[in-house]
Amino acid sequence: MAARVAGLLAVSLFVFTACSSPGATTAPSAAAPSAAAPSAAAPSEAAADPMAALVEAAKAEGKLTTIALPHDWCNYGETIEAFKAKYGIEVNELDPNAGSGDEVEAIKANKGSTGDSAPDVIDVGLAFGPSAKDESLLAQYKVETWDTIPADAKDADGYWWGDYYGVLAFEVNTAVVKNVPKDWADLLKPEYKNMVALAGDPRSSNQAIQTVYAAALANGGSLDDAQPGLDFFKQLNDAGNFVPVIAKPGTIAAGETPITIRWTYNALSNRDASAGNPPIEVVVPAAGRFAGVYVQGISAYAPHPNAAKLWQEFLYSDEGQNIWLKGYCHPIRYENLLSTNAVPPDQLAKLPDVTGAVFPSLDQLNAATKLITENWDSVVGADVK
Amino acid sequence: MTQGGSPYAAMKLRVPGEPELPSKVPPNEKPRRGALWAWIVFGLGFLYFFLPLIATIEFSLGHPTGPVGAEPSLQYYENVLIDPRSEFFPRLFFSFLIAIATIILSIAIIVPTAYWVRLRLPRLRPIVEFVTLMPFVIPPVVAVFGLIRTFSGPPFPLMNTTIGSNVVLVGAYTILSFPYMYRAVDTGLRAIDIRSLTEAAQSLGAGWPRIIVGVIFPNIRVALLSGAFLTLAIVIGEYTMASFLGSKTFGPYLSLLGQNRAFEPAGVSIISFGLTWIAMGAIQFIGRGGERIQVGGAR
Amino acid sequence: MPDVAGHGLKRGVRSARPASRRLPVAWLGVTPFFIFTLLFMLLPASFLVVGSFLDRDGQPTLQNYADLTTPIVANAYANSIEISAVTAIGGGLFGFLLAASVILGGLPPFMRNALMTFSGVASNFAGVPLALAFIYTLGNLGFLTAFINNTFATDIGQAGFSLYSKAGLEIVYMYFQFPLMVLIIAPALDGLKRDWREAAENMGATGFQYWRYVAFPILLPSLMGAVILLFGNAFGAQATAFQLTGGTIPIASIVIGAQIRGDVLHNIGLGFAMAMGMVAIMAMAISGYSLLQRRSERWLK
Repeated sequence: MAARVAGLLAVSLFVFTACSSPGATTAPSAAAPSAAAPSAAAPSEAAADPMAALVEAAKAEGKLTTIALPHDWCNYGETIEAFKAKYGIEVNELDPNAGSGDEVEAIKANKGSTGDSAPDVIDVGLAFGPSAKDESLLAQYKVETWDTIPADAKDADGYWWGDYYGVLAFEVNTAVVKNVPKDWADLLKPEYKNMVALAGDPRSSNQAIQTVYAAALANGGSLDDAQPGLDFFKQLNDAGNFVPVIAKPGTIAAGETPITIRWTYNALSNRDASAGNPPIEVVVPAAGRFAGVYVQGISAYAPHPNAAKLWQEFLYSDEGQNIWLKGYCHPIRYENLLSTNAVPPDQLAKLPDVTGAVFPSLDQLNAATKLITENWDSVVGADVK
Repeated sequence: MTQGGSPYAAMKLRVPGEPELPSKVPPNEKPRRGALWAWIVFGLGFLYFFLPLIATIEFSLGHPTGPVGAEPSLQYYENVLIDPRSEFFPRLFFSFLIAIATIILSIAIIVPTAYWVRLRLPRLRPIVEFVTLMPFVIPPVVAVFGLIRTFSGPPFPLMNTTIGSNVVLVGAYTILSFPYMYRAVDTGLRAIDIRSLTEAAQSLGAGWPRIIVGVIFPNIRVALLSGAFLTLAIVIGEYTMASFLGSKTFGPYLSLLGQNRAFEPAGVSIISFGLTWIAMGAIQFIGRGGERIQVGGAR
Repeated sequence: MPDVAGHGLKRGVRSARPASRRLPVAWLGVTPFFIFTLLFMLLPASFLVVGSFLDRDGQPTLQNYADLTTPIVANAYANSIEISAVTAIGGGLFGFLLAASVILGGLPPFMRNALMTFSGVASNFAGVPLALAFIYTLGNLGFLTAFINNTFATDIGQAGFSLYSKAGLEIVYMYFQFPLMVLIIAPALDGLKRDWREAAENMGATGFQYWRYVAFPILLPSLMGAVILLFGNAFGAQATAFQLTGGTIPIASIVIGAQIRGDVLHNIGLGFAMAMGMVAIMAMAISGYSLLQRRSERWLK
């Protein structure tokens, strides 16, 4: 009796899965033509007309679905509000805490859906650009300012392109830490017992992995050799200075993770938001300046392809890039903006000094990521008791 | 919900031939002040539950006892509650509606199932228990993407419309509530004699729907309330699935506010806690009252 | 059976029909459940099952299941089982005492209502807010830590206590385990008929004997059911542990999350295979429990 029930369920399961897979792939052919047509008509020389057409088409769609855009990350809150105010397009925000893997999965799962759960645009870690392209999840598009994006930060065919970068810095709660560390080596000092934390799990978070990578650069490693980073954290853990908690603004304020290593833009925006409670100092270490790049992409199955393109145009206009800059992110067109004096001087003054920041290539990044994620457990494993 | 006092004062439907047990102690007698052990246990529980809450409240005021020693301030609550888009109440109300729908659906599916399994299909019990415990081991992210895939194309393209995706949401939450609802209802059914109740009702000419709704439901009121509480808490607090489905519920909204701030999340927790507690009180109010019908005699 | 009203003649006769004709009704009664779980749980989960047999390039493979025996994965499962078992039994014990205190212990009735509603809220107070709440309380700079250290002139950190350990995690997990137990066992405690206590006293039983020979055996199936629920509840929990320990204590749900969710290109198939492993563990736990269940119910029915 019970076996019959189980058998029936199993059969219907397999029948369904077999039937649903082919069905899902017929949907994108509906999305692709509308994506192809406007991009064929959007050349970079006659700016006004195609843009106006794009704006009209986007407004007709009326909505943009974004994912994984926390409001305090690179000042996305202001970006979203500015976009809404300028074009009157509603922005439907999916999970702001999603990781890059979730974003890609969201595109895949929503292939057959045109509803509100399907993201139009994604903002993911560098490694996900090429892999999403390989899985045919991205649409081609080149923004008007395409040529001003550095060549090594974009896909030649226009499937993904870099958006901003920052370097890793120490965010220090100076109410708890009287003697602020200045560089990586300082973190090993006994006065910082139980104080140093990461803002994520080095087995799955970009920010945390690249922190370890940055530590490598500062401790005798290079972009090709991330092992010294793992050694550094082993030392840190053995010295008792490492706190295993995932650092958040709350834990920093509580003093539980008074020295947190994360992106300059996150550290600085938290400093501003805290307004003295707690007092925070952000230190960009002299050595080990590692630049982490994120990339933008448009979903090949976007329910609102024109709104997605308009969003990209907005982000890569001087206005959009400056909003990111206000959030302490270095926008990818930074050099270009400087050369045309497009950055307000007071904004410029507030940016942290990141001279000497190194950018890994995709291969270097992938190799280092593999090394770090696979070996983290043995370095800082379950013997944290 | 019946009070701690005596349910036994309620109507007793006695099967003829059963003797009434003589009792030395009058049925309503209870120790007037409560046993010492009970006070100790309750006190310990109280401490355990409230200390972290107090720590969170203190933190939400700006952590005045911390190293910075700032003045306690309500500004973090203001930042959370005073929202230019005024979405707080619409979202909260919507979540409450979804919760009610989920509770009703969950009860409607679970009670008959638990009843039939107990009464007629005991061999099915391990399968049903296994199925109801499965939501624990399926990660919510996997579940939500699986749901989106299932309902994205034919034969049920629910995800293309808002109403459709709300249906999916209620369905997903109902599944999430199954472990708790089933266990609560099963425990409740175990405590009453459903066989005798069923036969008695049948002998009065009741059909199955009447039996389940008119006889079983009132007798497992406490269990249903427990299940309803647990479900309500799940729905109001749930965030992951709703945020990937693009639903306009309270959880994703709260998390957007002050996600990357220091003190606002503590304020958000307290607000969420308080609101859910009030909602529980509302459900308890709705569900209270009514006599319990019992079949007399030893089980 | 006498048919009093006259209109229910057919139904009143139903119980006299042979057993084989009675089965269809019960099956009809459970069909909604199975259809519903098929649609909203099994079908969505089928992608998980299928995905567990695929490798990174989408090709069929059994490697993911082979990888389940690697030390990291095996260790993660062991930790998960340990933490879940400890919090299920510990949570069950104190939760039971708590429920008993308000239902049987003679405390003022409002305390019962307060406990029930609070338990409803607290049962779902998990994840990042719970972890943070305990960090603020028992962390290195937590206020309770400071209070204890100041009052008793100790340093509990030195003495070996750390919130960021398995023990600390278990303490935190209790916050949603106790209330769950309270809510689930309350109907059972309510069902302990006063008559039985009176009958036992009439026969000269002491309080202890009443509990040992009457109440506990009656409650045992419900207690076990509640404990298995608590086990499942802790087994699937992820966010709380993740925030508290940053993944340094590998537990199955965190490792799965890292494979499926992160910012790096992991092996999603392995994550799915691990999830299937968790399903298998739950199945084993349930069958063990069902066995014990049937034995405990024998004399009751």
